[in-house]
Amino acid sequence: MSRITATNGAGAGTQNKKGFWSQLSRQRQLVIMSVPMLIYVLIFNYSPMWGWITAFQDYKPKSGIMGSKFVGLKNFQWLFGRDDFLNSVRNTLAMSVINLVLGTVAAIVLAILLNEVMHTFFKRTVQTVTYLPHFLSMVIVVGMAQNIFASNGPINSLLMNLHIIKEPLFFLGESKYFWWLVGIINVWKEVGWNTIIYIAAMTSIDPSLYEAAAIDGAGRFNRIRYITLPGIKSTFVILLIMNIGHLMEAGFEIQYLLGSSLVIDRSQTIDIFVLKYGISKQQYGVATAAGMFKSIVAIILLFAANTIAKKLNESTLI
Amino acid sequence: MKRLLAATLAFAMAVSPAVPAMAEEAAQEPITLTVFRGDPGDQPAEDNKIYQKIKDEFGISFEFEFLAGDLDEKLGMMIAGEDYPDLFDGGNSADLLIQNGALINLLDYVSPEKTPRLWAHIEPQKARLISKDEDGNDVLYIIPNYGLADGEQIVNQVNGPAFFIQKQVLEWGGYPEIHTLNEYFDLLDRFIEANPTDENGTPYTGFDILCEDWRHFCLINPVQHLMGRPNDGEVLVDVNSGDFHTETFIDKPYAKPYYKKLNEEFHKGLISKDTFVMNYDQYIAALSSGTVLGMFDQTWDFNTATFALQDAKMYKNTYVALGLVYDPEYVDGQEIEEHYVNGSLPNVNRGFGISVNCECPERIVNMWEEMMSDEWQLLFNWGVEGEDYSVEDGRLVMTEEQYENTLNNNWKLHNKAEAFTQSSPKKQGYILDGDLAGNCWEVGNQPEIVFGQMNEYDKDFLAHYGYQKFADFVNPPIELAPYGEAWQIDYTPVDVAHQDFLDIQDKYLPELIMCEPDQFDALWDEFVEEITPSATEFGDFMWEAVKAEAAKVLKNE
Amino acid sequence: MKAAQKKRKAHHDRVFPTVNAIFLILLMFITLYPVLNTVAYSFNDGTDALRGNIGLWPRVFSLESYKSILSDKAVYQAAWISASKTVLITLLNLFWTSMLAYCLSRKEYVLRKFITVLMVLTMYVNAGMIPNYLLISRTLKLSNNYLVYIIPTMFSCFNMIVIRTYISNLPEALVESAKIDGAGDIRVFWQIIFPLCKPVLATVALFVAVGSWNSWFDTYLYCGGKKELYSLQYLLKMKLATTQASANAAKTTAEALQTLGQTTPITIRCAITVIATVPILIVYPFLQKYFVTGIALGSVKE
Repeated sequence: MSRITATNGAGAGTQNKKGFWSQLSRQRQLVIMSVPMLIYVLIFNYSPMWGWITAFQDYKPKSGIMGSKFVGLKNFQWLFGRDDFLNSVRNTLAMSVINLVLGTVAAIVLAILLNEVMHTFFKRTVQTVTYLPHFLSMVIVVGMAQNIFASNGPINSLLMNLHIIKEPLFFLGESKYFWWLVGIINVWKEVGWNTIIYIAAMTSIDPSLYEAAAIDGAGRFNRIRYITLPGIKSTFVILLIMNIGHLMEAGFEIQYLLGSSLVIDRSQTIDIFVLKYGISKQQYGVATAAGMFKSIVAIILLFAANTIAKKLNESTLI
Repeated sequence: MKRLLAATLAFAMAVSPAVPAMAEEAAQEPITLTVFRGDPGDQPAEDNKIYQKIKDEFGISFEFEFLAGDLDEKLGMMIAGEDYPDLFDGGNSADLLIQNGALINLLDYVSPEKTPRLWAHIEPQKARLISKDEDGNDVLYIIPNYGLADGEQIVNQVNGPAFFIQKQVLEWGGYPEIHTLNEYFDLLDRFIEANPTDENGTPYTGFDILCEDWRHFCLINPVQHLMGRPNDGEVLVDVNSGDFHTETFIDKPYAKPYYKKLNEEFHKGLISKDTFVMNYDQYIAALSSGTVLGMFDQTWDFNTATFALQDAKMYKNTYVALGLVYDPEYVDGQEIEEHYVNGSLPNVNRGFGISVNCECPERIVNMWEEMMSDEWQLLFNWGVEGEDYSVEDGRLVMTEEQYENTLNNNWKLHNKAEAFTQSSPKKQGYILDGDLAGNCWEVGNQPEIVFGQMNEYDKDFLAHYGYQKFADFVNPPIELAPYGEAWQIDYTPVDVAHQDFLDIQDKYLPELIMCEPDQFDALWDEFVEEITPSATEFGDFMWEAVKAEAAKVLKNE
Repeated sequence: MKAAQKKRKAHHDRVFPTVNAIFLILLMFITLYPVLNTVAYSFNDGTDALRGNIGLWPRVFSLESYKSILSDKAVYQAAWISASKTVLITLLNLFWTSMLAYCLSRKEYVLRKFITVLMVLTMYVNAGMIPNYLLISRTLKLSNNYLVYIIPTMFSCFNMIVIRTYISNLPEALVESAKIDGAGDIRVFWQIIFPLCKPVLATVALFVAVGSWNSWFDTYLYCGGKKELYSLQYLLKMKLATTQASANAAKTTAEALQTLGQTTPITIRCAITVIATVPILIVYPFLQKYFVTGIALGSVKE
């Protein structure tokens, strides 16, 4: 399974003292291929960043950035002075972590199981069917979930028939279940879709490795452990790092649809909070401040994860 | 709440119009106006006959944009970019447009001399419609799309809030008069005891409370009505107090008996805890299945359920709107007079404004002026005579087919100009002058049409009560208070307090209904303590605002 | 002892595929249920559907929801807009992202770290809606212009990273040997790396195409004023919103019946889902074949 490791033949490494510009000119083909997109992101992603100024303003669309009043850190103070904002940060992180763990584990397990299927038609069918729920709108999926988890719904009936519980559980109305319901629904909807990327990664595994392993008498679980898993490891690590950076995004649609006032302590995410107090109340400054806070935390998490990966000698994002 | 109620009003009033053509004027250079509508809608057909007439007559055609996403978000973008269409209906957030200077002052073009018809149209309500800008000038940004009606107020059914009950429950109870909270729940209790399930064995739900998102008005609004006032949103106004004493009601002692009653009914099993997590679709499904006996809601909010029940001929499972008040025992022996239906209210600041980017405001105003003529109004409302309606003995009539056409969406896209007329100034109520005097402007209000529709069950049902129409279950409209309806007031300055005020109610009220009866009092005290700061801030603001609005209207009158 | 082991293994090899197949079939049922339920609703009578409780088969069969959507000619114009922009965006994305991914996989590239950091950060920083809106509509004047669908979305960092990860899993020797033969980076990329990336390119193409096909927000923000440019999803979303609004606005049953014509928001929503998903289902197998079966890397390794 050992891969041919990079040996940096004619490349950099050996000539690092030659000066930046001469190296750059030697790599001009790479420059030509990469600089257009650099300019592109500078325009489309970075040039609007002046908008962050509004985080320090009482921004009014009519007055624009030039005309709006600066208020220092007031927007941030307002945010962090509110218990329900802090609460929504907690909820966001909790749901993200649950989603990330459940989602990743489920996707990898399914990808491996699919990879073990020899029958191509069956494999393709399962793969196609499982990704379909990705295309359903959240409204439909949550509506269905609400019926399934209702007090008189199938899950409660099942649990009662199995004598696991005596009284129906109030899944939708008790906040302790909420994060897990979100996790389960997300897995249900996205597991097939999330699998695609791992299945694609498995295609880069050299089939001869499996053949060799079979000849050596390695069992199925050893093949998975020593060939399949290492083969998708870099994809897994890179996705993990990227997703850790996204821990501040737990979405809002599912929480908004599934939540009710009974579970709001656990269901309100940062995005819902921002929607409620920012956009719809024309507190644009507050919305930007919350967005900025999210970005900063995201970047810290991202670099932390990247550093840890580097320390562990894993693939890194940056 | 405010936007919701505005929506109510718009829905309640959105009715189809239709017909004829007329006058010549020097044809002006043809132009296309860009139009934004702050609600969803369908693009009219290319060959639409009414738009063709407008084009022939005024040289004006329209390019419509309807709302697809979130209104405030869309308006926020348009304001930031100053990307305004010529005609701008900001829907329920039109105040945003006004605050941000997106609309022109129509009074530069509308006056008794220049536009006599438009002026006559707004004149009776001008005290409400015209306000002062920062510099003290009179301003009018939007001529209301609805609510400036001629003649006596038409109330055929309750379109707004009420306590609803299935007709079969009243039938079973021997057609009793139900006027108080206790009478209502006693009847429901007795009915459900005698009939725990429907014919198919599905258990009945006694009382549902929809709490989803902005529809939580079903949970938080009833107390003001039980206290004898029509809909003022989340505050109770004492119109007799001289200074329009206004307060939030939910935190007051007189709100407690209602939720205590619900708590009792919850423990009797009349209310299920699933009601608090139900989404709108599930609520409609429950109502449509005919197994929900009662609820507090607004008629338009469960329209689709009514429609499903009637379609299935389950007439006895459809609902009657009742105007309940507190029994005297709850309010120190007072007899409360019921008022669920209010005097008609202009839809202030709802409808088309002309944006500051528009290059031909005068031309638009002159077009509206021309369109306020009886000929154009008849064309918009009833259609083309001989084709879409006819006149018999001075009455406007439609054949069944013609009437069904006016309801058919696809037909309307070819033969009606609703995308334009719904947001434009228009005549409503009764036709006052001419050969057609006494007819209704709106097809849907014409008595021949309204009462021609009623099914036998309903006719029989009304006969048992000796009523003509379903609106007879409640008192006739009271006179509109000078401040209008308090939900129309812009509370942006206390937005955050208001949000807290709502959130705390959403959280506590279901708990209060579900808690053990012996814990109710303690939990109620906790609720009041928690909500008092935001309720006070919001309530005080509203009182000032109600006073100011009333003073403005009274002074201008 | 060895025989016993062998026997156990053989036993294992029968058990695992069976258990695996059963599990996967169960999983298919669980994930298929919501899909079939949606399809069932979409073929159900609208009024009847309001009562809920429809399982895998329509209770009162009706084609009205599809008729009401597909009878509007604007749907076909919108489908054309959506399809054409999807194809264009997908091609542009594959081109730009894979090229950049290759550059950033070259460890010797001196700008590698700098560009990577800048790219990666775009996934986590967002200027907010208003500045973005002003850039596109005011500075670049792309409102009500077809290009607004293409230009702002022709690159995605996430996809670039996915491709880069894939490329870095390919044997380095491929590049080394080509370079020794005198090939420049542009040629190495196009002639050697790009063809080897088919599985990951198919994956990325799928992500991009689905994203573009399903997007409506760009139309909503920038092209709402021009009905010729409406995308399919935007138009469908509008239809749903209109149905919902007219359901609430109808005053009488007769009016509701006529206005809605036996469709209700529930069935329209499901029919819309089906209409928007079927094209993806049709295209999917063509992409799927690249990533469900591996490519034979061995042959090119030498």
